[in-house]
Amino acid sequence: MAKILFINPVVREEDDPRHVPYGIALLAAIAMREGHLVQVYDENAWRKGPQVLHSVFNADRWDVIAIGGITTAYGSIKNIVRQARRECPQALIVLGGGVLTSLPREMMGFLPEVDVGVVGEGFITFPEILAMLDAGGRDWASIDGTISRTADGGLFISGQRALLEDLDTLPYPAWDLFPLEEVYFPNSQVLFSEEGMLAKRRLDINMSYGCSLVCKYCYHLGIAGDMRYETDANEDIQVAFDQPKNYTRSIRYHSPEYVVGLVKYAREKYNIDFVVFLDENLMTMDQYSKRTWMSEICRLWVEAGLQPTCLRDGIEHDEQCTGVHWSGTSHATLCNPEILKTMRNAGCSHLVYGYESFARHVMKTIGKGATPQTNLRSFFWTLEAGIRPIPNQIIGFPNEDFAAIYDNMEAWKKLGIVVKPFFATPYPGSEWFTVYRNRILEQYDGDLESYLLDLGDATRITAVISHNFNAVELLGLRELMLNFDYKRIRAYEQYWRNNHGIKDGAPSTLYREPVQEVAVTKITQQKVATG
Amino acid sequence: MSTLMKGNFTPAQAVESAPQQADSLEQRFEKEALKKLGGSIAFVAKKKVLWGDEVDNQDATE
Ligand code: B12
Ligand code: SF4
Repeated sequence: MAKILFINPVVREEDDPRHVPYGIALLAAIAMREGHLVQVYDENAWRKGPQVLHSVFNADRWDVIAIGGITTAYGSIKNIVRQARRECPQALIVLGGGVLTSLPREMMGFLPEVDVGVVGEGFITFPEILAMLDAGGRDWASIDGTISRTADGGLFISGQRALLEDLDTLPYPAWDLFPLEEVYFPNSQVLFSEEGMLAKRRLDINMSYGCSLVCKYCYHLGIAGDMRYETDANEDIQVAFDQPKNYTRSIRYHSPEYVVGLVKYAREKYNIDFVVFLDENLMTMDQYSKRTWMSEICRLWVEAGLQPTCLRDGIEHDEQCTGVHWSGTSHATLCNPEILKTMRNAGCSHLVYGYESFARHVMKTIGKGATPQTNLRSFFWTLEAGIRPIPNQIIGFPNEDFAAIYDNMEAWKKLGIVVKPFFATPYPGSEWFTVYRNRILEQYDGDLESYLLDLGDATRITAVISHNFNAVELLGLRELMLNFDYKRIRAYEQYWRNNHGIKDGAPSTLYREPVQEVAVTKITQQKVATG
Repeated sequence: MSTLMKGNFTPAQAVESAPQQADSLEQRFEKEALKKLGGSIAFVAKKKVLWGDEVDNQDATE
């Protein structure tokens, strides 16, 4: 049996650690189920640095050091794998997650310490690697879903790993292996709703995979049917994601019984009072289940006694309330008033909406499948249901212009939205990363790695993909937007028009690409709700 | 068993937390002040101050 050390790298260093890494927690549970010896060191939770990592690496003779995370964890991963290689020369270092999947060849080049990369979903690939190791084999190339090194120093991408069909065969996440009492429960608060603010014992759950929309700044980690293997002119396999007019998705979800069973288990074992559903888009699942999935989850939630007492008794929420509140993600066009009310009754406190923009011409180009009208409609439906809508906004889209800026400010004023927008950021794996790759690299002297190291929250400016504004302009305009400073924005618009030779009355834009209508070209549905 | 690492077996060596890990008062102050930075909330990041005597002294006397 292999001795495995999982390490969770640091992510979002500027904030307290708030989220147990769900993927690693599941992979640890799978490895234990297969009989392996597992330890987890959560560096993101502890943030103790190289000295403690030294003790961790020397605490035993590790067969496997497994690490992974999202793209913005790259800097931390780089330091950890270097130290791991120095201190544990015998260990097989395995890297997985969004960071590797979006750029498998580049990552293996940047991180020569990594022996095997797991591309996309790890549920089957990772235990197969462990089984091969146990059997004394090292032929990683024969395992689907890997990228490994060849004898002549090259890289080999094996066959594409099929996605797990029946998600309910997954064990519950190994939450016990993470510092819940020490770190995560004290950081339970989520400042998006009153109930979130009062949360004391929160856990996160991912109950579905996939999203039917094709937002061009979005990346689905290669676990949503979004990944394709393509052979290039040199007969090499390249891993591809969303590209103009080429989108694929696979919609998968746990059964309502699995979800509610897991929440009940977490309630009984850890006395949780709040669940954040990590799903990319709960409403996609609800729509694909013909509106049965979400309502069945809510029905079972109440039946299992998880409904918060404040809602059961129709009183205001306070610290005496028992039960489990929850939150998730919605979509402007896919939600409806009935399901929102049902969700509220079961304890839903807030829903994140990627409204992104209230400018019609911008919404048309981003692949969201929503309009300012559907944004507005869902905003009021959600409020009416008693749920707080969290209205995410983004500026700096390719065709963002002054008209869009005014449209957004008007909407914020009218709807009472208090927001500091994200900047449109082309994270690797997104369509706009592929489309604008050269332009991004120009902004980093051709150095992809320095772009990756610069990436963090999209509230910071990194690579700019706006055709109209540069980084300085976007930063300044955002500041003025927050203060509703129409006067200075208008004055700057005049200056901008003069600079670009655009007359008053003409659209304030240099964007010339045709607006293309987008839709997913192929969707497969792999799990049908049992409810 | 150490709580820094958690798992389904006892590793050969316990993992100790380095004793000097807690933030110093200076670090705590600078972190808190950074969160509220703006206007009259400004501070000197002490570790980053470099006193280059020649140039700085010259400036001071000019
Ligand atoms: C929780 C979460 C976070 C957490 C951190 C999560 C973590 N510890 O890694 C926080 C809140 C910090 C976060 C922040 C951001 N996030 Co986020 N986040 C998520 C979320 C909601 C859930 C992730 C998850 O658990 N998924 C489910 C599990 C099962 O998937 P998984 O962890 O990827 O694991 C699987 C595989 O990837 C692989 N795997 C993963 N790790 C490992 C390790 C090994 C060894 C192996 C073999 C395999 C492996 O196997 C697992 C099973 O298949 C996803 C959306 C989603 N539903 O996935 C977005 C998502 C990952 N985030 C995203 C983004 C854009 C961001 C932000 C940039 C947004 C922003 N605010 O600007 C910030 C960045 C913050 C920063 N400064 O670094 C994007 C993608 C980012 C990317 N390029 O990698 C996602 C996909 C959302 C989206 N659709 O846009 N995020
Ligand atoms: S709706 Fe959300 S998860 Fe779906 S593609 Fe758009 S941003 Fe990504």
